[in-house]
Amino acid sequence: MSAVNGHAASKQAASASRRARKTPAARQAPVLDVAIIGAGFSGLGTAIRLREQGISDIAILERGDDVGGTWRDNTYPGAACDIPSNLYSFSFAQNPNWSRGYSGSAEILDYIHHLVDRFELRALMRFRHTVTGMTFDEARGVWTIRVAGKKNVHARCVVSAQGPLANPALPNIPGIDTFGGKTIHSARWEHSYDFAGKRVAVIGTGASAIQIVPALAERVDFLKVFQRTPAWILPRPGYAAPDWNKTLFEKLPASQTAFRNALFYAHEAMATGVIWNTPVTRLLEGVAKAFLRHQVPDAWVRRQLTPQYRIGCKRLLVSNDYYPALMRDNVKLYTWPIDKICEKGIRSVEGIEHQVDCIVFATGFAVSKAAAPFPITGVDGRRLDDEWSRGAMAYKSVNVAGYPNLFMALGPNSGPGHNSALSYMEPQIDYIVQGIQTILEYDLRALDVREDAQAKHNAQLQKRLAKTNWNSGCASWYLTEDGFNATMYPGFATQYKKQMARFVNEDYRAIRYEPEFHERWMRND
Amino acid sequence: MDIDLEKMLAKVKASQWALADIDWDAPGAELITDEQWPKLKAFMSDLMWIEHVGARGFAAMARKAEDPMLKEMYTYFHAEEQRHANAEMALMRRWGMLEEDEIPLPNINLRLVIDWLDTQSDRMPLEVLGSVIPMLEVALDGALCTFLLEQVDDPVCHDAFKRINDDESRHLGVGFHVLEMQGHGKAYRLGLNFMGTVLNPRLIVGIATYLPLLSRMRDNVAAMGLPEEKLYKAMNKYERIGGRTADGRRNPWFQLISRHGRLVADRGNKLYHVPVDAMVKLTDYYPRALLRPVPTWVKELTYKTAA
Repeated sequence: MSAVNGHAASKQAASASRRARKTPAARQAPVLDVAIIGAGFSGLGTAIRLREQGISDIAILERGDDVGGTWRDNTYPGAACDIPSNLYSFSFAQNPNWSRGYSGSAEILDYIHHLVDRFELRALMRFRHTVTGMTFDEARGVWTIRVAGKKNVHARCVVSAQGPLANPALPNIPGIDTFGGKTIHSARWEHSYDFAGKRVAVIGTGASAIQIVPALAERVDFLKVFQRTPAWILPRPGYAAPDWNKTLFEKLPASQTAFRNALFYAHEAMATGVIWNTPVTRLLEGVAKAFLRHQVPDAWVRRQLTPQYRIGCKRLLVSNDYYPALMRDNVKLYTWPIDKICEKGIRSVEGIEHQVDCIVFATGFAVSKAAAPFPITGVDGRRLDDEWSRGAMAYKSVNVAGYPNLFMALGPNSGPGHNSALSYMEPQIDYIVQGIQTILEYDLRALDVREDAQAKHNAQLQKRLAKTNWNSGCASWYLTEDGFNATMYPGFATQYKKQMARFVNEDYRAIRYEPEFHERWMRND
Repeated sequence: MDIDLEKMLAKVKASQWALADIDWDAPGAELITDEQWPKLKAFMSDLMWIEHVGARGFAAMARKAEDPMLKEMYTYFHAEEQRHANAEMALMRRWGMLEEDEIPLPNINLRLVIDWLDTQSDRMPLEVLGSVIPMLEVALDGALCTFLLEQVDDPVCHDAFKRINDDESRHLGVGFHVLEMQGHGKAYRLGLNFMGTVLNPRLIVGIATYLPLLSRMRDNVAAMGLPEEKLYKAMNKYERIGGRTADGRRNPWFQLISRHGRLVADRGNKLYHVPVDAMVKLTDYYPRALLRPVPTWVKELTYKTAA
């Protein structure tokens, strides 16, 4: 029996109690029911689902001045999602008008704006609110959220939805500040910079770089691509969506749902080769190698582009135009280690100074795998940074023991390697909504996951992760420096969804304002 | 030679230099005499190619090393050997030995080794190249470079080779460390593995290209005035350092290569030298049409300080 369904009778009394609880607090400072940090897919999705359940005392704290998160920030040339758009969108807000199989960032951002308008989220937004930390007041059951240059925000529940890929990371290359030319990070693109006739270096060959390189190659005089580790790249079955397809999806939404389901299960099938080492892994590697051979005629360049780790260990990429771009006369791939950046360019270890006008850092993001995104203080003054110093851990990626009423979207071990992040996000959101409903309807001071439940969950998780390709020996952003996997979920999205379907009361400590309540709680009464 | 790989890698990273650190137009090029010039051109060309094939050897080793630290170290050494070849080309250009973008032509034995490295080196176990490369390094470091610096007064050449030698000493340190590491374990297991590899036809072809190359190089440097004894003395260093520990001596590859070194040094051993010298001559008649196109990694060579 879920907590949400099991207490309908107490709803009315709980609401009255909730109002009473809020009144004294309101005298000190207004206390929101829910504060959501971040206005990307997960933050907005949570707000939509909460409102559908009648919870509307919500604020979305966003450090930028627009919604969109990753898709607002990543506007570099060629930016696109490597998951089909029909799958990289909310199931409850499907868009029949995707122009392509894999849409570009602008179209995805339009979709997000459309969500804001359709679900009237604009009123919840508090832009230019950069959260610098938060502390739980155990006696009141309220989180105090510190906001840079603004008044604190108070809320009974907090949804941390700032996203794992929000903060651009620069590589640790000596002399990075000495470069006299232009530097641009892929996630902070400067559209005013004119690349025409310029000599440009791209550092990094990950998911962003393989999209930037083909687009920039068209514009620049010469492009030097510096690679440290090659990625496995599969062909991308992209297409321009015909009008009849859009009309069909619009007139017959079930057809789009069916297509979405087909895409979902096709991606699920990939897990058998991407997550675990199976004959499918060999098959996928064979396809990737054949694709490389087909697109890159030179044996030495092929060697440079052939990964030495198992497919799936690092993020698997899809692109039809990256390899051909590298074969252009005005593009050259370098695999020499970079020694340093100097005033005029990049010095690599083969002793040559690669002089360029602009360096593009396609070096990804600082992913918090062993630290909280900002200082978070829970019960008894415990700090999440300290607890996560050896790797982030949570219960079902959503809750952390000792930090009641705090929920995370795309928290630890919720990343997919083979499917849409939104396929994992939606069950998380629904789970978070169940948790918040529970707090508000039972009028809980604190809903805290039990330490033992969290430890058991993580022990199982790490045991399963040990058998995955991610933990097969390569260095990736999925792992901490010690090799601890704090990012990925070792299973199918279907399994994850099943895990998140039920809010398990027994795994939580519920503290109401009267002590005898907890016994009732444990009886699911 | 037990070294801390982590510290060594940090040292390697902290000891980088670039061609731009050297003033290639500084005075001193005129100190090359007319008599030296043609011999030096041939010598530098061979030296540059040895560095370059060594670079390709390290590239193969970077693939094979399982320890991530060693893998990264070899990735650096690959680039550093390339840097040496680039610097040597820059010297040749300074001395007017190269036109515009000319790359010195490799001799036929080098071409055969390039062919073999290009097609086979990635398939060889680490211990093969890991054992041969220190031998090439001691010969290069201890004999060829020393000889060059004795003969050439150009200060820019001395500056460049001081940097090159510093790099090479780190390569040697790691090389002997790995040689010993690979001699760790039961002798019979090492012996069995060795037998399995040494009978590999790909390796036999490799050995058949390596032997005449070594003899041709010996002849070339001897023709330039390097006393053979100096070369043999340098090669003996391999046996001395590699054989210092029980692990090193237990490495069958060390045994094979050091014994081969002794054979090369023993000019009285007709059983070895007559057939190998014949191979050197025979390779002159190797049909060029059978050579594969020059691999594109060769085209990475440049004398330019900036690109």
